[in-house]
Amino acid sequence: MEYLIGIQGPDFVLVAADNVAASSIIQMKHDYDKMFKLSEKILMLCVGEAGDTVQFAEYIQKNVQLYKMRNGYELSPAAAANFTRKNLADYLRSRTPYHVNLLLAGYDDTDGPGLYYMDYLSSLAKAPFAAHGYGAFLTLSILDRYYKPDLTRDEAVDLLKKCVQELSKRFILNLTSFTVRVIDKEGIHDLEKLTLGAK
Amino acid sequence: MALASVLNSDCADFSFDNSLPSGFGCGPGLSGLGFEATPSDSLNFTVRNPLCAVGDDGVERKIEFLHGTTTLAFKFQHGVIVAVDSRATAGSYIASQTVKKVIEINPYLLGTMAGGAADCSFWERLLARQCRIYELRNKERISVAAASKLLANMVYQYKGMGLSMGTMVCGWDKRGPGLYYVDSEGNRVCGDMFAVGSGSMYAYGVMDSGLRQDLTVEEACELGRRAIYQATYRDAYSGGQVNLYHVHSEGWTRVSQEDVLMLHQQYKEQA
Amino acid sequence: MLSSQTFGDPGKMKDYHYTGPVEHRFSPYAFNGGTVLAVAGEDFAIVASDTRLSEGYSIHSRDSPKCYTLTDTTVIGCSGFHGDCLTLTKIIDARLKMYKHSNNKSMTSGAIAAMLSTILYGRRFFPYYVYNIIGGLDEEGKGAVYSFDPVGSYQRDTYKAGGSASAMLQPLLDNQIGFKNMEGVQHVPLTRDKAVQLVKDVFISAAERDVYTGDALRVCVITKEGINEQTIPLRKD
Repeated sequence: MEYLIGIQGPDFVLVAADNVAASSIIQMKHDYDKMFKLSEKILMLCVGEAGDTVQFAEYIQKNVQLYKMRNGYELSPAAAANFTRKNLADYLRSRTPYHVNLLLAGYDDTDGPGLYYMDYLSSLAKAPFAAHGYGAFLTLSILDRYYKPDLTRDEAVDLLKKCVQELSKRFILNLTSFTVRVIDKEGIHDLEKLTLGAK
Repeated sequence: MALASVLNSDCADFSFDNSLPSGFGCGPGLSGLGFEATPSDSLNFTVRNPLCAVGDDGVERKIEFLHGTTTLAFKFQHGVIVAVDSRATAGSYIASQTVKKVIEINPYLLGTMAGGAADCSFWERLLARQCRIYELRNKERISVAAASKLLANMVYQYKGMGLSMGTMVCGWDKRGPGLYYVDSEGNRVCGDMFAVGSGSMYAYGVMDSGLRQDLTVEEACELGRRAIYQATYRDAYSGGQVNLYHVHSEGWTRVSQEDVLMLHQQYKEQA
Repeated sequence: MLSSQTFGDPGKMKDYHYTGPVEHRFSPYAFNGGTVLAVAGEDFAIVASDTRLSEGYSIHSRDSPKCYTLTDTTVIGCSGFHGDCLTLTKIIDARLKMYKHSNNKSMTSGAIAAMLSTILYGRRFFPYYVYNIIGGLDEEGKGAVYSFDPVGSYQRDTYKAGGSASAMLQPLLDNQIGFKNMEGVQHVPLTRDKAVQLVKDVFISAAERDVYTGDALRVCVITKEGINEQTIPLRKD
């Protein structure tokens, strides 16, 4: 029931995640942040099996930070994505696989913005836009229809709002609040939370 | 679009697909032994949740909020209030009406009990030990965040092996009042108010309509007491007494212990 | 073939023409019945059990008490799977000996209860199928009862019944000892004679209605003078 989305522009990546932490049919929390800051310019968005998400994301997060300490420079988004994928793939063949779906967004000073889609079977794809969760079925077509590679930040936010509005119209659950962040050459910026309807 | 090919398999989201095997090696676990054939064997605050799929073989595939009990805790301006019932059931038999479901980890940390009674008391006892070791090593009290994470990491190692535990770790540290929900699924979330157990929905109902930040201690205690009482009234697997604790800057204090029978009379007279 | 099928799966008869695969899973557990009971008084504790050992429809033994004396002030009642009862009591005995050798004193009832809890939880994923109730005297000489579930959850009670007829005994004890849901009654402290008589009465009642309880009743009365055991006959049918 969770929802993640990422939209890449010419010099930025816009990402959003819902804020619900659920246990069965109960919402335990309405302001849960599903984004993990891997480095100054890399964010990882994580949904999936309870427990696995945080355990895996923090494991990757700490390893990326360790890499910086050891080598004095940070992993690029592409390297971080491949590192994450390799770990996920190795755990998939172990007795304790992690059931997590990820989006990895980052900005590389040479390669520019990057958005990576990864699922729990450790398939990795670089994409101009991506979404996870049941909401992806509803919103990918919107992205297909309205996305253009040279869209501005405001256009990206508008596109995001279109997707979220579609969710509130068609999706059985009402996800009411979304964390929105933008990554560009300056780093990670918080945008205003998207909220819909009643609390 | 490349995405389409990645997404076209219908497992874009797996987290709610119960039919996927969870894939954790059970070892010489319960499921291999037919121990579930007698579900009333061990003392449980557990009731099978009709919403969760239970396999024909009686093996509970999904252990989630099916903790059959009512416990709640919430933050307010003067700290944290913890309120619990005291019933233990083994199947439909009431094994005890006098269970202490608030586990006193140390003078400033409390844990609550929902799910397997032995699981909760054992792991929270182990947590108490870890917290004491932390204190001796670091010459300062452990934060609620760290304590809850110790517990979450301990039980996460046993995920998928049949542990059943839904607990709230409550306390007071440098950051003020702390409240975390930790369960055997691996969840660990910080929050202002939680209710756990089969009666949790009833408790949530009362709490959501009465909770304000500016409650006095007396008002907050009464709200917690009332929420548990209403849950015991509606939920067959909750009952006995209402135990109330208040966590404040000096640690926790035990506020009251009242029999639901007495509360019922009291509330009836008030009405 | 049919008989072995029904034997392996009591209570669920397979269709007469059933030809599909039949799964036989070995179970290392059996339920051997039996009821245990413990009552704590001001300066005494009573642990009682019946002496019947049965499995399914057959009675294996009529003289198999489930009370095991652990120390001068502690007795444990174990019912459930007899094999695990024996294993468990032997492990406890060994641990008590080790404790006595290293500390030069006997373990208190409270310490034994805490130890038993960890022993039971140590087999969390392959439990001892045993319902334990410990009766004894605490450090102050007061009666103490500790009741357990098979995986080690425990608490101190004043009276507790466990095993096959526990659901019959417990409500009676709630009424006679706990004075539950009664108004205007005097909560008189339980005397030893009244307690012993009550224990006998509830077991006689249980033997009337529970097929796994009967033959004889073993009552252990623990006081600071020592443990007094007596056996009272029950129905043998």
